[in-house]
Amino acid sequence: MPGLTTSSMHDARDAEDQRLLDAGELSLLVESYYGVMLDRCRARVWPEADAIGVAAEVAIRLLSELKRGRRYRVPFRVVVHKVIGWKIQEHFSPARVKEVELEEWLQEASTESQSELEPDAGFDALLEGLTELEQEVLRLRYADDLGFQEIATKLDKEPNAVHQIHHRALTKLRGAAA
Amino acid sequence: MELLFDEFATRYVRGEHPDVREYLERAGPEREELGRLLDRFLEAVPARATSEEEIVLMQARLEQQPPILLLRLRRKLGREAVVAALVGQLRLDPGKSDKVGGYYHDLEVGNLDPEPVDRRVWDVLADVLEANVRGLAVFRPEPPGMTASAYMREPTMPALYERVSVFPEEANAIEPDEIDVLFLGP
Repeated sequence: MPGLTTSSMHDARDAEDQRLLDAGELSLLVESYYGVMLDRCRARVWPEADAIGVAAEVAIRLLSELKRGRRYRVPFRVVVHKVIGWKIQEHFSPARVKEVELEEWLQEASTESQSELEPDAGFDALLEGLTELEQEVLRLRYADDLGFQEIATKLDKEPNAVHQIHHRALTKLRGAAA
Repeated sequence: MELLFDEFATRYVRGEHPDVREYLERAGPEREELGRLLDRFLEAVPARATSEEEIVLMQARLEQQPPILLLRLRRKLGREAVVAALVGQLRLDPGKSDKVGGYYHDLEVGNLDPEPVDRRVWDVLADVLEANVRGLAVFRPEPPGMTASAYMREPTMPALYERVSVFPEEANAIEPDEIDVLFLGP
């Protein structure tokens, strides 16, 4: 991935998703997200059989939506992540309200554009709540794949200072994720 | 925990395929917190490519079919070819191919607990089926009729397998041999 910005990679992915949608390759489109479905479900749900089960529910929901002819005005990857998040929540609190909320969101996503709905769930969303410097360090580390020494040189800071900024940023992310 | 996150994230953005489960295991009591952090990260970064094993695993779950069987059919291999590879590569007695075939059948359809199966068996299966077969074996479908939800995709292979062991029952009554130990553990 080095050399490409996360934004350009998302754009390339969105274009490929649209191509598959236009070609009616709905199973292939959903399959192409199996990896991230499994990764995210494994991160939050265990044992393994339950994680696979939740990932399968995500796949079933997405495919049935697409086969019913529903199309979205937001990038498909945004829909994928939304459904993953909802299905994980549903696993922990299997209340009917989650399904209703998801249905409402999917309805809106098929009629409202991205900007009307909510910001793109891209890399910037991960950095919300961090200072500019913290954001820059995480961007250089996890989007540009730079080592701490390279980041220090780029930001004209001591490597120790970069480590501290990185630590502060991750502490905030941990807090936000909790 | 931060070191684990950093290692996972940098490997991920380099295009590697770090295993979430391995990192959670290493996190010990911080497993849940690391899981939430990884989840946020995975939501934010461009999704990696899906591996063929993941496609097989999900297809197996969705169609309630055994993943090793689906993989073998994907490879267009007969069961005999896999059994021949096991017998040949493990230098087993060719006269006991039927017994190996019985164990392989049970393993393939999820009738045999994969846990005690010897690493050498997995190595041969990985070689002949060109995939991490041990990783796929973790999913064992429910017996037919037990499935609560059905996948809307048309079944590609109806009645793919029978959840009936073909392994001769009387084998349990005799002294375990090398083949028993390979598949059932010491």
